[in-house]
Amino acid sequence: MPQAIWVVIESSGSEGIANISRELLSKGRELADAAGVQLGALVLGSGVATQATEATQYGADVVYLVDDPSMAPYTTDAHVGVAAALAREHTPMLIMTGASFQMRDFSAALAADLAAGLAIDITSLSIENSQITAIRPSHGGNVINTLVFSSGRPAIVAVRKQSFVAAQAQPGRSGQVVTVPMPPITQRVAVVGTAPKQGAVNLADAAIIVSGGRGLENAENYYKLIPALAEALGGAYGASRAIVDAGWVPYEHQVGQTGKTVSPKLYVACGISGAIQHLAGMRSSRTIVAINKDPEAPIFRVATYGVVGNASEILPLLTEEVRQRLK
Amino acid sequence: MHIVVCVKQVPQQNSVKINSDLSINADGLERIINLFDEYALEEALLLNETHGGQVTILSLGTEEWQEQLRRALAMGATDAVLLSDPAFAQLDTLGAARAAAAAISKLANVDLIICGRNSTDDESGAFGPSLARVLGWPQITYVGKFNGITDGIITAERHLEEQIETVTAKLPVVTTMIKGTNEPRYPSLLRIRKVAKVEIPIWNAADLGLSAADLMPTVTIAGRVPPPARASGEIIEGASAAEKARKLVDKLLEAQVI
Ligand SMILES: Cc1cc2nc3c(=O)[nH]c(=O)nc-3n(C[C@H](O)[C@H](O)[C@H](O)COP(=O)(O)OP(=O)(O)OC[C@H]3O[C@@H](n4cnc5c(N)ncnc54)[C@H](O)[C@@H]3O)c2cc1C
Ligand SMILES: Nc1ncnc2c1ncn2[C@@H]1O[C@H](COP(=O)(O)O)[C@@H](O)[C@H]1O
Repeated sequence: MPQAIWVVIESSGSEGIANISRELLSKGRELADAAGVQLGALVLGSGVATQATEATQYGADVVYLVDDPSMAPYTTDAHVGVAAALAREHTPMLIMTGASFQMRDFSAALAADLAAGLAIDITSLSIENSQITAIRPSHGGNVINTLVFSSGRPAIVAVRKQSFVAAQAQPGRSGQVVTVPMPPITQRVAVVGTAPKQGAVNLADAAIIVSGGRGLENAENYYKLIPALAEALGGAYGASRAIVDAGWVPYEHQVGQTGKTVSPKLYVACGISGAIQHLAGMRSSRTIVAINKDPEAPIFRVATYGVVGNASEILPLLTEEVRQRLK
Repeated sequence: MHIVVCVKQVPQQNSVKINSDLSINADGLERIINLFDEYALEEALLLNETHGGQVTILSLGTEEWQEQLRRALAMGATDAVLLSDPAFAQLDTLGAARAAAAAISKLANVDLIICGRNSTDDESGAFGPSLARVLGWPQITYVGKFNGITDGIITAERHLEEQIETVTAKLPVVTTMIKGTNEPRYPSLLRIRKVAKVEIPIWNAADLGLSAADLMPTVTIAGRVPPPARASGEIIEGASAAEKARKLVDKLLEAQVI
């Protein structure tokens, strides 16, 4: 029986499909090829037809496009209703989404509707002899769970950003785009307003993050040193809870158990001790640099490269060095 | 108005151990009400002050969870129910949601359910949406603020990564709360004493009319390990801060990290 793997596409807003969708399409392509099945994509929204073509260029064989004014903004009833109907019709073995708030809302509801297996915030995924296995951290990253999905029902996974390498567009590549008419759906929740969040920072998407902690001594020093290095590296800047609670930096920048979970290519922790709750939010980063004056600081236990010293002294030199060398 | 708050007991610290049967061992760690559930409860108590009625705590766990239920009662909840059965040990989120949905039906006349955005141990945030779908109710997730309830219509703000959405829906609704603007209250000594002997009803699978099929997990845990030790790190040595900075950039360029 031909069973497909599906990716649910998210929009980046202005620049076509989101990074996470490209990451899912690349992993989905790899899994589909290995399993000998088709890679499908769901493009749900309003005015999103170009994203359907884009999804084929990034690897989808077939795209189910539901392009209707009632699909935007996102509501659970509309998106899950449409996705569940399509899934019942085509019976994919695996549906992959991102792990944003909206997609967690979606994937959990869809799993309940389909009585499907569900794993949220996974960091790795494999299929062997049609058995689907996912890895997901829990307990603030202190426990790494291997989950095996029961066969005979679909598996739904919400994937942590930057777990997989994003697909590159193949401009010549094409696939089938199936335009699906909007089914009648009762939307019980009405979105009556949307406003941008003040000071929102998209840490989860950043490939490089420079974070500061109490070791920077005061807010002025943080703002003098941390954004400068982040900018030189082309990254975003984060913070420990200690300095968020102290009011130096807005909550939106907090990394950790009660802040954001990130896994960038490079995480630079400056004057951060490496408390377990901070590690929970950044431990899966690919490369970790720690700058701390205490050689015994726990952050050094997870660091790829450690620099023992005064952050206020090292950071300006480091920023200058980066600027010179990356010119 | 009848509000149900779903409360999970979690270890205060996540430094848990893993038993040989792969279950989580939180022995010796203090147990608390999941952080976000405290915000949920506080929000329920505030709504209750305006609208009156009942605030029922619903929890699915072992009998020792009664301690947290009692704490919630001492904070001001009017009722509590514990769903507990040896058959619940292997439940996944969907199974737990089915059990909770059966309890909601048994409670009757529930207008609003408030959950936390996620538990701080399992961290999935799937319970609220699963419960909503099993009940067939609408869901409003990631609520940062309840703006109010008028004529059976609830208005709430969803705080997403980069935007705030204001939504409305007709009750009954399932909601999940983020760390909001409220300050969860402390239980008063008087109330702690008052609820110390309250009998908390315990409902098992049979009371809830659940079959073995309802409780069958869709996902099984095949392995559980501590995080892999990261490849042992390298301390960048140098006579001066400038030398260390230079060597660090060398390393990062060499490894093609930057
Ligand atoms: C339920 C709960 C949830 C939590 N959630 C989070 C969370 O989401 N995120 C989070 O970060 N924390 C969280 N915490 C807090 C966490 O336990 C730590 O308290 C916090 O991470 C410490 O922040 P810090 O490393 O900036 O400060 P400190 O622990 O005070 O560390 C400062 C570090 O700076 C170093 N230092 C000092 N001076 C210098 C200098 N001149 N140059 C270089 N280094 C210097 C010191 O050696 C020290 O290691 C949570 C705690 C609890 C209980
Ligand atoms: N066993 C449980 N009993 C009662 N409520 C629960 C239980 N598990 C999860 N919840 C609720 O669902 C929310 C999300 O939990 P989780 O899906 O585990 O991240 C929690 O904040 C609780 O409100």
